[in-house]
Amino acid sequence: MGERGPVIECSDVTMRFARTLALDGASAVFSPGEIHAVVGENGAGKSTLLKLAAGSLAPTSGSVAVGGERLRPATPAEAARRRVLMVHQHFMLVGAFTALENLMLGNEPVQQGGVLNEARARREVTALAEKTGLTVPFDTVADALGVGDKQRLEILRVLYRGALAILLDEPTAVLTPLEADELYKVLRSLADEGRTVVIVTHRLDEVVRFADRVTVMRRGRTVLTRPLDRASNAASTEDLTRAIMGREPPPPFSPPDVESDAKMAIEIRALGFQDAAGVTRLRDITMSVRAGEIVGIAGVEGNGQRELVHAIAGLLPSCSGSIAVAGEPLPFDADEARAIAARRSVVRVVHEDRHTEGLLLDATVADNLVLGQLGTVSRDHEAEVVSRRVKSFGIVPADPSRLAGELSGGNQQKIVVARALDAFLSKGTQPGCAVVISQPTRGVDVGAAAAIHEAIGKAAAAGLGVLIVSADLAELRQLCHRLLVIRKGEIVAEFAPSASEETIGRAMLGAEAA
Amino acid sequence: MSGVFSLTMVAESLRISAPYVCAAMGGIWAEKSGVVQIGLEGVLLTSAFASVAAAAATQSAVIGLLTGVCAGALLSLGHALLVEKAKVHAMVSGIALNLLAYAGTRLALRGLYDSASNSPAIEGFRFGPVGASGGALLGRVFADPVTLVAILMAVATPWLLKKTRFGLRVRAAGENPDALSAVGASVTKIRSYALLLSGVACGLGGVHLAFDQHRFESGMSNGRGFIALAAVVVSGWRAGYAVLACLAFGALEALQIVLQDDLRKSRGGDLIQLLPYVATLLVLAVAAGKSNAPKALGK
Repeated sequence: MGERGPVIECSDVTMRFARTLALDGASAVFSPGEIHAVVGENGAGKSTLLKLAAGSLAPTSGSVAVGGERLRPATPAEAARRRVLMVHQHFMLVGAFTALENLMLGNEPVQQGGVLNEARARREVTALAEKTGLTVPFDTVADALGVGDKQRLEILRVLYRGALAILLDEPTAVLTPLEADELYKVLRSLADEGRTVVIVTHRLDEVVRFADRVTVMRRGRTVLTRPLDRASNAASTEDLTRAIMGREPPPPFSPPDVESDAKMAIEIRALGFQDAAGVTRLRDITMSVRAGEIVGIAGVEGNGQRELVHAIAGLLPSCSGSIAVAGEPLPFDADEARAIAARRSVVRVVHEDRHTEGLLLDATVADNLVLGQLGTVSRDHEAEVVSRRVKSFGIVPADPSRLAGELSGGNQQKIVVARALDAFLSKGTQPGCAVVISQPTRGVDVGAAAAIHEAIGKAAAAGLGVLIVSADLAELRQLCHRLLVIRKGEIVAEFAPSASEETIGRAMLGAEAA
Repeated sequence: MSGVFSLTMVAESLRISAPYVCAAMGGIWAEKSGVVQIGLEGVLLTSAFASVAAAAATQSAVIGLLTGVCAGALLSLGHALLVEKAKVHAMVSGIALNLLAYAGTRLALRGLYDSASNSPAIEGFRFGPVGASGGALLGRVFADPVTLVAILMAVATPWLLKKTRFGLRVRAAGENPDALSAVGASVTKIRSYALLLSGVACGLGGVHLAFDQHRFESGMSNGRGFIALAAVVVSGWRAGYAVLACLAFGALEALQIVLQDDLRKSRGGDLIQLLPYVATLLVLAVAAGKSNAPKALGK
């Protein structure tokens, strides 16, 4: 067995950025041989704490010690010298490099004169991959790898660089449940070998299933650290939620009932789409959402979800088939102003990436909240709309003059959802109108997620048809009346939300009757 | 037309291509590392002048060669520091570099040699057979130390980029600098070294230009830096293809010289002179669509 990982000790660390106090006297001890989870809302300081431990940031005050010795200078290079390495939330891979080149980068085995010894690198990483089960196609360029492979590649790389302590920032956010389970299996074996494993995550179910110890953070402080008792799962989740939010958690969401004679909100018939390269992205999709119904689309990312949402939004003028909302067929030519107006009066869409498709990060919260309505409402009325949306969706800080980019992910998401839902809710919904929401709570904390789920429930109760696309199966099962599984651009299965994650996951992966 | 398939043609092609190839290798090193370098033109011109000035002052071609290369390297490094440290936009810095080189060499020409057009003649390298036959010309090309170093550079560049640790890091800096710094390497440092090499390569081209003419002439780079940059783009930022593009361009220019002798008395000569430029335009227009530039070029 190899060396044991170091103890990483953050004592009373404070981290101040220009305008915000990210950490306010947080303390935590990460020990070898266990999986230590750090949880908390967005902006609670989890990632900052991790970056301090990895030397990516230097604390404003307080100290970080690795193996009993202060981490000085606080640089990633020094942390790496002490065998502490971090896997960042956003992949740090060179897309045009092969997996092997990515593995070598920064830790290149060389012969005389700095010539790469590729054969040696290949030998070493192959051995490492076999030992850990982290198999990656070494000669494929990173851009062509799936997220699961990329994640494995990142972990393999820190191991290849000799990590004895591995810090992972939200590694499962982009993984399917099955891939996440695989990842935890690897982390478990690393911890069993005596390495120090620290993981930041939003998913409490993962924490209670896989972690040995948990630290809860709230507003820059560490409010709770305790070992996890695997015997009492349910109790733990509730306790943790309470500690994370600092108050009683809201009652679990359940979708409102659908009237049996409800009319159709969204009706899609034989929808098909081929992209510019001639690849079929959507194939013969026929589905419907009734007024007051919440329907979920589950699937592995990249199986046509994006195209489906774009088609409804009118962004795929060349698709075939038909889409009708509230009984009116939607025109596909998105350029025509009248078509846009017609579409907007019956359907609103929240796209998956709020940064690139939902917000102007350099514009104010107020401007973002009425984006798309600019010029159609008077200045006074606009202020009224803004303050109503800020209030009813609980956007924090409740200051519409702040820039959208300064808000946490959760509050940014509230802006885009508020914009879509409030447009209908405020003027008394005509039943049969619809909203399509892609990734409603991606990268959003428990509190904000609960608020968004509540708003979705309200919208359905008011008679809107709601179509949700999400990578988070647990969310879909909680939120929806029905689940449709999309694979390779086709709807391949329909489930009740009570179906198990394994069953749905198998349909997503197309594991034929396995 | 007898001259088209002759040793003269081969020799002239190689001689003319050499500065293009050097500048293109300079472009490859800079742009592969993620730094836009439109200042190749200025580097060529400055190195050409510096090499002549040093050679004239010391009567030593070797010192001239070294001085020219150093001048190119320093200028290029300055560009790297301005862009990476002082966060000056690479286009602005590159334009400034070109203007500075043009005006600076003219000023120095006036100051040192009291001339608006050219320096006094220098000896440079004179190796190889004498005579005007094609064989002699070719012999002189391959006996010229500057050309030999340029050939070495053209062969070494793709190999260094592909096979060495430094090359791997240069490419990483150009593709995803965040990934490079995440593994503990300094992007600024790598880019500075890459630009230093870029300056050495391009500077060698400037020395070749000047030594080939045995003097410095005002504005003698004459757009070669830009053509070389175009070769880099056309080649899809691949060193080997960029060399081929430069050789093709050199061949067209040589063709023009060879044919011009035949056509001296007709109007055709003027048209033939356009050939290399028209060819460049055509290739650029065709290649422009499918670019595979380094992802972080200019970031």
